[in-house]
Amino acid sequence: MLQDRYVELFNVVKAYPNPFGEDIAVVDGFNLTISQGEFISVIGHSGCGKSTVLTMIAGLNPITDGGIVVAGKEISGPGPDRAVVFQAPCLLPWMTAFQNVMLGVKQVYPNASKSDKMAMAEYSLSVVGLADAMDKYPRELSGGMQQRVGIARAIALKPKMLLLDEPFGRLDSLTRMELQDVILNILNFDKITTMMITHDPDEAVYMSDRICMMTNGPGAKVGEVMDIHFERPRNRQEIMGTSEFFDYRGRLIQFLNDCETEKEERRKAAS
Amino acid sequence: MKYKILKALDVAGLQFLDPIVRLIYGEEPKVQLSKIGRFIVIPILAFIAFLGIWGYVAPKHATKSGEVPTPGVVANAADGIWTFHKRENIKSRDYLLAGDRKETSLTEAQDRLASITKAEKAASSKVAEAQSALSAEIASLQAPHKKELAELKAFNKTASNSRKDSLSELAESVSENSSSEREAYLDALRDHNSLSALEKENEKKISAKIDEIAGMKYQPLIDARFALKLVAEEKQFLQKRVEYLSKNNRSEKVAEYEAKLGEYEATLASSSGKELEKTGARILRQEERIERVSDSSYAQPWTFPRQIKRSLMCVFFGFILASMIAIPIGILCGLSSVFMAAMTPFIALFKPVSPIVWLPIALIVVGGFIPDPDKHWFIDSINSLPIIGSYDLNPAFIASAITVALCSLWPTLVNTALGVASIDKDHINVARVLRLGFWSRLFKIVIPSALPLIFAGLRISLGVGWMVLIAAELLSSSEGIGKFVWDMFNNGSSDSFAQMFVVVFVVGLIGMILDRTMIVFQRLVSFDEAPTSI
Ligand SMILES: Nc1ncnc2c1ncn2[C@@H]1O[C@H](COP(=O)(O)OP(=O)(O)OP(=O)(O)O)[C@@H](O)[C@H]1O
Ligand SMILES: [Mg+2]
Repeated sequence: MLQDRYVELFNVVKAYPNPFGEDIAVVDGFNLTISQGEFISVIGHSGCGKSTVLTMIAGLNPITDGGIVVAGKEISGPGPDRAVVFQAPCLLPWMTAFQNVMLGVKQVYPNASKSDKMAMAEYSLSVVGLADAMDKYPRELSGGMQQRVGIARAIALKPKMLLLDEPFGRLDSLTRMELQDVILNILNFDKITTMMITHDPDEAVYMSDRICMMTNGPGAKVGEVMDIHFERPRNRQEIMGTSEFFDYRGRLIQFLNDCETEKEERRKAAS
Repeated sequence: MKYKILKALDVAGLQFLDPIVRLIYGEEPKVQLSKIGRFIVIPILAFIAFLGIWGYVAPKHATKSGEVPTPGVVANAADGIWTFHKRENIKSRDYLLAGDRKETSLTEAQDRLASITKAEKAASSKVAEAQSALSAEIASLQAPHKKELAELKAFNKTASNSRKDSLSELAESVSENSSSEREAYLDALRDHNSLSALEKENEKKISAKIDEIAGMKYQPLIDARFALKLVAEEKQFLQKRVEYLSKNNRSEKVAEYEAKLGEYEATLASSSGKELEKTGARILRQEERIERVSDSSYAQPWTFPRQIKRSLMCVFFGFILASMIAIPIGILCGLSSVFMAAMTPFIALFKPVSPIVWLPIALIVVGGFIPDPDKHWFIDSINSLPIIGSYDLNPAFIASAITVALCSLWPTLVNTALGVASIDKDHINVARVLRLGFWSRLFKIVIPSALPLIFAGLRISLGVGWMVLIAAELLSSSEGIGKFVWDMFNNGSSDSFAQMFVVVFVVGLIGMILDRTMIVFQRLVSFDEAPTSI
């Protein structure tokens, strides 16, 4: 039972004050259930409140109303059980890649022996393909490599949940595809419940078990949730060639377009 | 190799040497040459031009301490300061020498003394020569003016006498009740007086010319006198050296006292009663004396290089004190806006206070803690430390260091607070997700990210501290560069005037080196552009 409702968001509301001091609910009545080990993508127009939802789950952003339960416990504040990878890698520039990963490992496993901790950090760096660049500083790494370190840092925490906020947003499309596979490989190996925010329908369909489409804000909520029935492990070439892929993709784009036209109409009605 | 050198230059802030290195490696000679022209040759030319203007303008202004020194005079003064320092070091070494090394040094010094005595004679005869040459020159230059003066005087005298005669005649001829004639007489008298004044004036002009020639600057004489002065100083030094190598030497003194002690002991063996009492007391006193002398060292005066070292030490004490206060408070300010609000009035109020105000307060407060500096455990314990101890740290030194700290802590404090407050929000989020505790958040995230700004602040602080220090030493008479300037000012000779100019360059140079060093540190800790491998 708990496995089906591993993460639950009910009636989550987030209101920000506008310049006139009135509270505007950016996200209003957001309901979503995620089962354990599931990969769910959130897609929606820019500014609809995707990052807001994700940071609320991470605990970095206080919730105005409603509640979020992760693994049977209502969250209060951030914690290493919900690892976050942001669009910017957010590495600490005065530490090497290894030290950046180690910082988290030390925090989560304070009682492990030093060699165990080092092994954990080394392992997660090698999983993302950075075995040779562990002792480099972030400024010596490319954007893609930095984002790999960010991913390594997140998985080294052995989190209950992985939160990805447009993790490939700033990368070129080749690196983006590489990193998509890096993440899928990790998840094939170790099923972590994952929520990823994306702007890219292809990416969403290729990677997810379910896609949550958000309506436009203010007052954004879950518009539609679509199941993706591809087997795992997935093969990009195979999937991209199927007609289902195009159906899924078409539905996504259709939804996004509908949202846009609805918004236009609302604006016209208002003026 | 080339890139390593270039990188090292870059980090050390010596980028102006960059084109030379590139030129040596044969990279685009034309570009490099034009860079050398711009960044090396032009500054050098500018400096030469500066020296030229200085050398031309300085002698035009005469002061109570003589003419403003020219670059050459200042260079000589610097040389003099350095020679004095070296000689004092030799003397203090000589005092401690013993045995064979003492003997060889003694013969060496005596030989040198013999030859320098000859040199002194030669130099003084040169001075005499130059003196007589100058007198002859003066006489020959003055002769025509003197002649002119004599003629003018004679002429004026006759003219004045004849005017006086005619005046008396006029006075005689005035009729009894003619007021207009009396008026005429007064007018004539007035004319006579103004003419006489004019004649005097002309005579004075010529006398002034003669005087000017008498006070004329004669370079050979100046040079000869300078040479004589150098030789005389060296002779005096050598005489002192001989003294410290013979009868004033430590080992000699000890030997002398020990001989005396032997005598007393001999007397003791054959004495009794009153005499025994007296001799016993003498022996004990003599033993004490020997102990004191065999521990003693030469009482070296404060030479300028030693004063520089003491100043550097003072500025470092002050700087470290300032950092120890400013960095923690700055971090607290940056972390907590409440604490920042509490600190703001203090920062605003105390930051502009001048060192001249802090120093007397610091002196009094330190004096309160250390009423008797000769017998205070703190002063005693610092002065018994190995290297620091030889610089005779006293309350004035501590007060100067505290003043330096009070004036220089503000830039570090403000910059630290700014650095801590402006830490990247993403980095804070990382800390929050990892649930880092306060201390690891502080040491792993907050301080490293604020470090470049902290160092920028420290650099400004060190610069401020160095400026403040000189003033503080001058006021507190704490041995150091400031004290040197003050002594030279009170001395008032033209020589000490030149030495003050030396101080300007020394202070500037040291300040520059301190600043450069801090830049290097700053670059090493700034993670964005820090060199990774040199
Ligand atoms: N701190 C804040 N104060 C006020 N309004 C905010 C704040 N943060 C976000 N918002 C508003 O909330 C809305 C949602 O922001 P959010 O960052 O969640 O959008 P998003 O869906 O992630 O957009 P994007 O796809 O461009 O990243 C935006 O309209 C934004 O203006
Ligand atoms: Mg966003």
